[in-house]
Amino acid sequence: MDLPTHRDDWRLMGRTARLVLGGPFYALVGVVAAAVALTGFVLSQNLALTRAVLVGRVPASVLPELYPFVGTSYSLLTGSVVLLVSLLVGVDIALVAYHVREHRLSAEGSGGSVVGVLLGTLGAGCAACGSAILAGVLSLVGAAGLVTLLPLDGLEFALLALVALVLSVYWLADGMRGGEIRGCPVDLQK
Amino acid sequence: MADGTTARTTRRSVLTGGVSLLGAGCLGGGGSGDGDGDDDTISLADHPVGRSLGTQPRLGPPPAEATATIVAFEDPSCPRCAAFESTTVPKIRSELVEPGTAAFVVRTAPLVYPWGDPAIHALEATYARDADAFWALFGHYFEEQDAFDTDNVLDRTETFLSAETDVDAAGVVADAESGAYADAVATDVDAAEAAGVSGTPTVFLFRDGQYRTRATGSVSFDLVTRALEL
Repeated sequence: MDLPTHRDDWRLMGRTARLVLGGPFYALVGVVAAAVALTGFVLSQNLALTRAVLVGRVPASVLPELYPFVGTSYSLLTGSVVLLVSLLVGVDIALVAYHVREHRLSAEGSGGSVVGVLLGTLGAGCAACGSAILAGVLSLVGAAGLVTLLPLDGLEFALLALVALVLSVYWLADGMRGGEIRGCPVDLQK
Repeated sequence: MADGTTARTTRRSVLTGGVSLLGAGCLGGGGSGDGDGDDDTISLADHPVGRSLGTQPRLGPPPAEATATIVAFEDPSCPRCAAFESTTVPKIRSELVEPGTAAFVVRTAPLVYPWGDPAIHALEATYARDADAFWALFGHYFEEQDAFDTDNVLDRTETFLSAETDVDAAGVVADAESGAYADAVATDVDAAEAAGVSGTPTVFLFRDGQYRTRATGSVSFDLVTRALEL
């Protein structure tokens, strides 16, 4: 498995993301994907409340209170990680969209994207509600007690999501080596 | 996905990601105690969280006399409950409970760490003796949460009750160890299960005796007042 182990790999990721997001269309794709991911993370913790808003029983002004740094559902650390995961989902989806549309190539990183999004939701949920989601999920495999072994109360899953998304971005950037983005060569080193 | 060779295949991969997001969202909601019961138009008296409400620890006026009723399921060992207690509950007390606008009822559910279970037994044993001592012990668990574990929870409980309250601390601990108030603990657990609570804190909000919504997590005071239109 190819991993981003050198500084050049990180520069490649940064350059690729910058070039792709430099185009207005893919910047919009990234922003929308990040917003959808963040909204998915936070609303999935409170579906009943979301439904109450949709049927008009509760004012829509409650919904912003569910987001990190607006309401109080997330700590500073957890909110930052959830926000970072969402932004990376945006970058990741923009790269996947670019890769698919412009290069007509396979999206090697999309497996990583799916893993990242799943872990991100799991991590956001754990951190928001006291590990209950994690306990519920682990109990499916008979490992509910494992939650007590996690020193970060489930934030580990959000951090794993960060890793998965970084790997996904790297694999996508790596897959675009040798190509061009808006006339600029992606690969500077090899 | 690594061996996908066509744009169509990779687009499917992207779609799969999107579907997974939705699926994960459902998973999160189900596991978070978000519940999906048919409680849309239920009155407090008929709602599962309204069962045995009169015997629960309460701040403020009786629900029948209050504009709003907030029923919170909490676990002394839950970190987000500690956040809820430190950021949101003080405002609920000062701005809703003290003016007599809302009743704030606490029900317990041992869901997070193992020491929460003996702590809840101790809370029930304390409440049976003195409501003020219950609120003091309840707050103490959250304030000193990091110091508790299954080995020291009852010792620390006894020390706190002896020093800060007038209740028979040794009696409380003996009752917690023997499960003397297991029925009271079970009443809350049954209510939590009936209402679909599997995460803490979960607050159920009622306005004029009618169910409005529920919210899981250390939700803000503004969320509570906006949902209740107070």
